[in-house]
Formats: sequence, C-alpha cells, structure tokens
Amino acid sequence: MNALPCTIYVSFLGAVLALVAGMRSPGTARWVALLSALLAWGIALSAAVNFVPGPGLETIVNHPWIPSMGIRYHLAVDGISLTLIILTGIAATAGILFSWNIEERAGEFFALFLALIGGVYGVFLSADAFTLFVFYEIAIVPKYFLIAIWGSTNREYGAMKLVLYSFAGSALVLAGLLWAYAAAGAHSFGLHDLATAATHFSHSQQLGMFALVFLGFAVLAGMFPFHTWAPTGHVAAPTAASMLLAGVVMKLGAYGCLRVAMTIFPTGLAFWQPTIACLAIIGIIYAGLVALVQDDFKFVIGYSSVSHMGFVLLGLAAANAQAVSGAVLQMFSHGVVAGLLFAVVGRMVYERTHTRQLADLRAMPLHRLLPFAAAVFVVAGLASMGMPGFSGFPAELTILIGTWKTSPLWATFAAAGVLVAAAFTLRVIQVSFFGSASIADGRKAAPAHPLPPITLAEKAGALVLVASTVLIGLKPDLLLDWINPALQSPLFQAVLKGGKP
Amino acid sequence: MPQHAVLVLVLPLISAAVIALFLRRAGAVAATVSVLAATAIATIAVILALHGERFERSFEWLRLGGFSVSLGIKFDDLAALMLCVVGVVGLCIHVFSLGYMRDDAARARYFGGLSIFMFSMIGIVLADNLFMMFIFWELVGFSSYVLIGHWHEKQSASDAAKKAFIANRVGDFGFLLGIVMCYWSNGTVNLTALGSQHVYSTLIPLLLFCGAVGKSAQLPLQVWLPDAMEGPTPVSALIHAATMVAAGVYMLCRIHVLMVPEALNVIMWTGTVTALYAALCAITQNDIKKVLAYSTLSQLGYMVAAFGLGSLPQLDERGRMVAMAAGVGAAMFHLTTHACFKALLFLGSGSVIHGCHHEQDIFKMGGLAKRMPLTFVTFTIGVAAIIGLPFLAGFFSKDAILFLAFANNKAVFAVLAFTAVLTALYMIRLWKLTFLGTARSDHAAHAHEGGLTLTSPLVVLAAFSILAGYTGIYPKVFSGVFELIPEAHGSAHTIIFATSLAVLVIGVATGYLLYASGPADSLAQKSPGLFGGLVALKNSFDVAYNYYVAKIQQRFAMLLNFLEQIFLAGLIIRGLAGVVGLFGLGARALHTGNLNAYVYWFLFGVVVLWGFATGALAF
Repeated sequence: MNALPCTIYVSFLGAVLALVAGMRSPGTARWVALLSALLAWGIALSAAVNFVPGPGLETIVNHPWIPSMGIRYHLAVDGISLTLIILTGIAATAGILFSWNIEERAGEFFALFLALIGGVYGVFLSADAFTLFVFYEIAIVPKYFLIAIWGSTNREYGAMKLVLYSFAGSALVLAGLLWAYAAAGAHSFGLHDLATAATHFSHSQQLGMFALVFLGFAVLAGMFPFHTWAPTGHVAAPTAASMLLAGVVMKLGAYGCLRVAMTIFPTGLAFWQPTIACLAIIGIIYAGLVALVQDDFKFVIGYSSVSHMGFVLLGLAAANAQAVSGAVLQMFSHGVVAGLLFAVVGRMVYERTHTRQLADLRAMPLHRLLPFAAAVFVVAGLASMGMPGFSGFPAELTILIGTWKTSPLWATFAAAGVLVAAAFTLRVIQVSFFGSASIADGRKAAPAHPLPPITLAEKAGALVLVASTVLIGLKPDLLLDWINPALQSPLFQAVLKGGKP
Repeated sequence: MPQHAVLVLVLPLISAAVIALFLRRAGAVAATVSVLAATAIATIAVILALHGERFERSFEWLRLGGFSVSLGIKFDDLAALMLCVVGVVGLCIHVFSLGYMRDDAARARYFGGLSIFMFSMIGIVLADNLFMMFIFWELVGFSSYVLIGHWHEKQSASDAAKKAFIANRVGDFGFLLGIVMCYWSNGTVNLTALGSQHVYSTLIPLLLFCGAVGKSAQLPLQVWLPDAMEGPTPVSALIHAATMVAAGVYMLCRIHVLMVPEALNVIMWTGTVTALYAALCAITQNDIKKVLAYSTLSQLGYMVAAFGLGSLPQLDERGRMVAMAAGVGAAMFHLTTHACFKALLFLGSGSVIHGCHHEQDIFKMGGLAKRMPLTFVTFTIGVAAIIGLPFLAGFFSKDAILFLAFANNKAVFAVLAFTAVLTALYMIRLWKLTFLGTARSDHAAHAHEGGLTLTSPLVVLAAFSILAGYTGIYPKVFSGVFELIPEAHGSAHTIIFATSLAVLVIGVATGYLLYASGPADSLAQKSPGLFGGLVALKNSFDVAYNYYVAKIQQRFAMLLNFLEQIFLAGLIIRGLAGVVGLFGLGARALHTGNLNAYVYWFLFGVVVLWGFATGALAF
C-alpha cells in the first residue's frame, strides 16, 4: 500500500542501470540517473499526498532479517522522516541536474551518486537500529569515491578525512548500539524495543550509551569541535557531492541524533543537554566568524553549513516541541539552501571562472557576466540569512522561540549567531558578485574568454531549489503539519519531558 | 473594506514581482508600473482612512501545537494615519524619482526596489501582531539595503548598504528576543490582546525598543543613517523622511501599552541625547544631504523623546483624572509633520543636486535662489517648517513636544529647547550657503530647474508642510491619535510660545549672522577648536565601531581561523593521524621481507611460548 520503500530500490536499481548505461555513453547515464531520481522523488511525493500525519512510526515493511540476532528489516515512516525523504528527492534531482556536464566516467559517477541516495532513503525509512546502521554505512562509502575521483582542491586529503571522521562516528554509534543491545538482553534492534528496554537501564548506562551514539551521529552533523571534515570535504567534493553532503548527509547525522540517540535514551539527553547546547552555540558563532575571514568562496559556504547545522543541534538540545520541530524544519531548509549555495559556487561560478578566490572574483563584475547566477545566489543568501519569505526564517524563528522556553540565555547567543550569518553572507555576496572591475590591481580582471552561458539543466536545478525554499518559507505548515503530530508519539514525548515517563 | 487593506498591501508586491520577472530590461515600463502602484496605494489609503471603518482580521500562518504565528491586519486610527503618510509621501517620491532617475542604467531595479520597500513598510503599518511586524521589519531592512546600495559599483555605496543592514540587524537582535520573551510571558503577541492583558515587565519593552533604536537610528546605532545618503536622493527622502526611520517610532506607539516608567525613562533619554548629538553633528557637515541626514536623526530623537515622556493626567468626561498617552500623540503628530517637511527638504536637495549636476557640497553652491526659484521657495518653506516658524507644521508639533517635556521633565525640556536653537542654526546655515550669495562653482552657476516631475512633488509637499500642523483640518477619522496630542493652556502656553519664539530668533539670528555665503565654513574659521571638537564628536562612533570591526572582531575571527587551521585541522587531526601512522611504520619495520629476520622472530616467539608453557614466564 505504501510505496515509499521503492525509493530505496529505485535508487539502487538506477545505480546499476547508470553504470551499465555509462558504458554506452555519458548522455544515457545522465538520463537514467535523472529519471531514477525523479521517479524516487515522485514516489516520495505521491506517498506524501496520501500521508495521514499521526503519532508514531507507521510500519511499511517488517520482515525478519537475521532472526537469530533479532535483527529485522523494518521500514516505517512518520512526519519527520517523510520531511527528510522529500528533501532527499529534491537534493538528488537537483544534484543530478547540476552534474549534467560530467563527462569523465559518467556512468560510475551517477552510479555512486544514486547508491548514496539509496542509502540515505534507507536511513530515513529504517525503524530498526541495525538496518539504519547498515544503510548509514552504505551512504558513507560512495562519498569517498565521489570526492577522491571527481573532486578538486586537495581531494585525497578531503575525501580521506571525511571518511575517517564518518567511520570514527560510525564506530561510536555501533559501540553504543551494541552496548544497549547487549544490556537489553540481545533480542532486538528495533528502535521501539530498545527504547522500552532502556527505561530499565541504570542511569550511568543511559548516559554512556547516549554519549556514544549521539556523539557518533553528531560528528556527521558537523558538531563543534568535530566539524573540520565538513569544510574541507565540501571544498574538495565535486558540486553535486557537496550539495548532497551539505544537503542530506549532514542531515543523516542530525536525524540519527534525534531518531536513535534521543528517543532511545531520553534520560541521557536530559543529562547531556547543556553540553550539547553549549557546543551547538559555539559552533554557530565560531563557524560564522571563521566564515567571515575565508578567502575561498567555497570555504565560506562550507563554514556557513557548520554554523547552520549548529541551529539544528541547538533545537534538538533544547528538546521541546517548538525547538525540535524547528530543528527538523531547519534540516529541510538548510538542505535546500546549502544545495543552492554550493550549486552556484561550485558549478555556476567555479567551472566558468576557474577561480574561487574572492579577491579574483571581486575584480570580475559577475553580476553582469552571470546575472542568473547572481540572482540565484542573492536569493540563496537571503534564505541563508533567515530572511522572511524563505524557509530559513520560520525554521530559525521556531528554534529560537523553542530554545527561549528552555533557556533564554541559549536563545540570546543563538540570535547573535543570526547576526554573524548576516555579516558573512552580505560580505560574500558583495565581494563575489557585486565587485567592480575598477579594483583589479594586477589580479586577472575580466576573464579572457566570455563565460559560457548558464545551461538549461542548471536553470532547472536552481528553479527546483528556489521554489522549495520559497514554498516552505511562505507556507511552513506544509511540513510542520507532518512534523508536529510525529512529536506526539510516546517516544518523542519522553524526549520532550526529559526522560521522565 | 478589509479587502481594500489587503489590496493596498499586495499591490506593491505585485508591482515588484512583475518588474523583477518581466521588466528587468524595460526601465521606462517598470517606472510606470511602480508609479501607478504608488498612486493606487495612496488613493486606497486615503479612501480607507476617510471611510472611517476600523477593523481587525487575521489568519494563521504557522502552527506548532499550542503555538501559532498569524498574519493579520489591525486597522485603527493610528494605522490609518500612518498609512496615509506613507502612501501620500511615497507617491510624491515615486513621481520625483521618475524625473530624477530618468537616465539611470538600472532604473528597473530601482523602481522594483521602491515597490518592495513600499510593500514592506505597509506591512509594518498594518501588522496586527509583533511576529508579523518583525517579518516586515526584516523586509524593510532588506529593501533599504537594495535601495541604499543602488549604485553598488561605488564602494562607499555598497559599504553603506551593508552598514545599514547590519546596524538594523543589531537592533533586530534585541527586537526579536523581546518578541519571543513577550510571547512566553504573555502567551500572545497580538497587539489588541496585549492591550487588554499583559504582565508587568521592564525588559520586554526595552528589548522591543532595541528594534526602534536600529530602525529609527537612535544612539548608539545611528551610524548607518548618515552613510545611507550614498543612495539616490529620492531614496533618502523615502527612507529617511516618511517611512523606514519613522517605523521605529510607529512601532513604539503600537506597543505603548507595554510600556512601564523605567523603560520610558530610558527611551526618553535615548531620544533626547540623540536629538542633541545629531544637531551638534549637523553643524559641521558640508554635504547638503548629510546636513539633512543629521537633522533627521535629531528630529527622530525628538519623536522618541516625546514618546518616552509618557502620559499626562487629564480629566475624562466623567471628571476623573486619567492618564492620557500624550507621548503617543506628540510623537505621531511630529512624525506626520516631519514626514511632510523632511520629504520636501530631501526632494528639494535632490532638485538642487540634479540642477547642479550631482554637486553635493554646499560650499560649492550659492546663489541658487535666482536660478532655481521654485526649488528655493519650496525649500524655504521646508526650512521654515522644520525650525518651527509660527503657523507652519513644525511649529505646532514641536510645541506639543516641548509642552509635554515642560510638564513632565524640565531637564529634557531644556535640552530639547537648546536643540531647537541648533536646528534653526544649521538649517539657516544650509539655506544661506545654498541659495544666497553668488555661485561658487561652474555647476552652481549653470544650475537649472528640473522638469515637472521634479517640481510638482515639491509644491504638493510644501503645501502639506504648511497645513499639516493644523489638527483642526484633519478629518475626524484620525481622532484616535490626534485627541492624544498635548495642548498647553494658560501660563504654560505662554511659556512654551515664548520659549519657541526665543529659540527661533536666537537660532536664526546666530545662523544668519555667523555664516557668510562664502567658500569656507565660518565657524571653522572663527573657532577652529569648537569646530574640531564637533567633528571629533561626530566621528567618535564610527571610529569606535571601525576599531571594533577591524581590530577586535576581524582579529578574533582571524585568530579562530588560525586555530582552526593549525590546531583542529592541523595538529590534532594530523597529530592523531601521525600517531596511527607511527604504529603503522613500526609494524611495517617488522615486515622486513628478509627470511632470516622472520626466522629469528619465529624462534623468539617459540622461546616466549615455551617460557609460558613451563611457567618460567607468567603474568
């Protein structure tokens, strides 16, 4: 009845087909990839149309997988996972549109890309911790190859760092989950079963398990001080991979924190709450300030991602209905907006001007050479600053409102972070697009050749992302009406009440 | 009627959207669309106000369980008055822009910006709750960024735009926290609901006031306003006369029910100090627009101070003493008259600048009275109105504020009266240097009057600058605001009247006698020390902020970046990797590939095992 699991299968199948098609011609591979991504997105959207928001996960598939260990292939959906599944569809489609110019080993590129997407869909659909973990690992591996083969600046270093961080995080998660599994009597990995069992764990056990699992996932969400993989990884990655990295992979981490760590060990959250909030706030302001002084266009966006993910983590840490809804909304918003920013920087600008140095870009009147890119970047920048009319505004607003309820002090610091975001975003908009040729001072002024025009695929990709951020900016209830009821489930209620039943 | 209010809000948005999507390269059409929208706004605004119907409508926008943000319209007398001011003055500025921006390459962007600005501003005026007000508050910040930075290829213009945006954001930081706190304390941010019930808090109104400090450019966030003169002159008129800077004062009037004496005290002194500080700065300026900019700051200080002076006791119909929100009345009255005469002065300066081929230095003007007679006459009316010449608009509204100050706080009264002397002084200086004497540059010598689109708004605004002070001629529909204007009676009336006359005479006489219409600043020649002191005072804030940004924030950010590169990414990460690598190296060293070595290792292992087995070695 519910076709959502097909998003996983379609993506994996598409990966195989793209690999085969790539042997014939890059063009076929592209079309195969685009059609698979569109099909998966379409399945997600049609499921969303029929979706009835309710408390708790709605099981779709539940088969025994490794019965001897109580591991089940259990897929389920609620409003939160649905939101992120839609985001994955958007990011995948836009990512493929922005990779339209890939000629080198196109089949393999799109195969890895779709395999990553399949893994991401799988994580968002899993209701069994082990299944979730398996999909999570599937999503990590292709990233390495995408960056190491098709990447740019310092790509081996960036790719290796990212993968080491990811696997270190995974190791922590696995250790925490195994501990909980063993302590619970080793008969099930189901999220619900683990959560029920966890209520009987000792206080110190809960704290330890929560710390392991949360930290493991938070690494991927870019939590300070474990964020350094993000900027280098983003910069090294090819455009589509940075879009996915910022757009959905960082969300995997945040989603894991929420879905696994917080719901299974609510008592642990209650204990670690101030620490997490503190790190989140430091991340918001620290990454914002670092972004303010970067010379490389892509590093600015990379650090801005860390800063924005800080809001997600803060919302989770504040752990009340408003803040958590805001955090999920921010996951969606950041996924779309960061994708857009990376698309402009990596694809529209870098592949035409062959420089990402702000000092070089400043000497080119890019707003005149690439008016479309300039317009899209201004829109993305406004969305990133949290301007009303774009998805970032309701997201950050609800996070701030929710956080204030938990701690006015945290909210004050976070609001200061919004200020920093305005500063670095305006700086980069002005320097990169609205510089003027008069300040050339020996830099390569206007590019020697006229820049190639923006292609149709790029326009389509940008349009998808802009439309998404504007739609949610104007009507956030579209998502909040899914997210809110999900928070009424007993598991989340336990989180919101700080672990007290 | 509610649908008319929605229409007046949506029209400029439609205009902006049409221009952005279809008319980017058709400047003339874009200008027409934008001006037509402004005409419709002004017409509907006046119809709405005169119709007399007052209403509130809202619908839910964002819902989170028990928490919701709604969008709605609260159309009361206050909103009606403000809407008329914004609409009518906005229309004059749109028409003026037609002529002023005729040759601009990016005319479509300019008029699109004007439309989006009108949309944002009208949103603030109509908003029925603080969240909605905040939404449009931010949009005003953004659209002012676009308009101030219109000539973005000029570094100073794009810096000024950024400064305006950031300074406003700093204010919004407090404003937003105030709104959030208000929500959690009162359970609502609806203005009407707050009016009927709210908790007593000093912090909430002060945090909300932060927003007004940013938008209305009060100390210490005033720095963006003078710099914002980098925008085209009609933009200055729009932003700095009738709309954006007035939004702060308007917002205060909207939330005056939340005010408590402690908060009002802070607000009053902020306004008073701003009024004085800006007037002192204005004396040193030689750019025609910057004089007006500081004068705007000073007048905004008056309004904020008036609001902060709070209420007056008054007898109601049943003969009981009740508090009358005189601060609201006085502030809104001055806001209204100021919108008229300041828009007139800015557009007059635009006409001068246009006539003198973009010369803005008043020491290079002179003798323009003969060459630009219409501009001269209307500008003179504007000057007369702002310095409070009896029976012009500024006279009545300034007297209302002075009376309120006289009744509630004598110290503030003294400062404001002294500020009025300064106002007369620097306006007469500006007026004399610009229009009297002889031309001091080629541009001034060949100055010419602009076309009808430039002059007709001047005439209309000049008429308003004379009439706007007569509360009697306003239709009864604004009575909700105008009944609150404090009026002096008896001895107080005499004192106020005498004070303002004396102030006027002293200021005008000093200004007229001190300044000769020559190529150099008379004050700088006669008293360099005083002049230098004033210049230093004016620069002090910019120096401090630049020091903070360049020396503290930037260095701190560089330091963090350094730590990030060296420690987090470098030493720790690479260090960890190095440790792992060392293990690898060690392990690799054991694998020599040499058969002999392996045999020795094998023998060593056997010996160790044998040792364990026999008990010679034990843990």
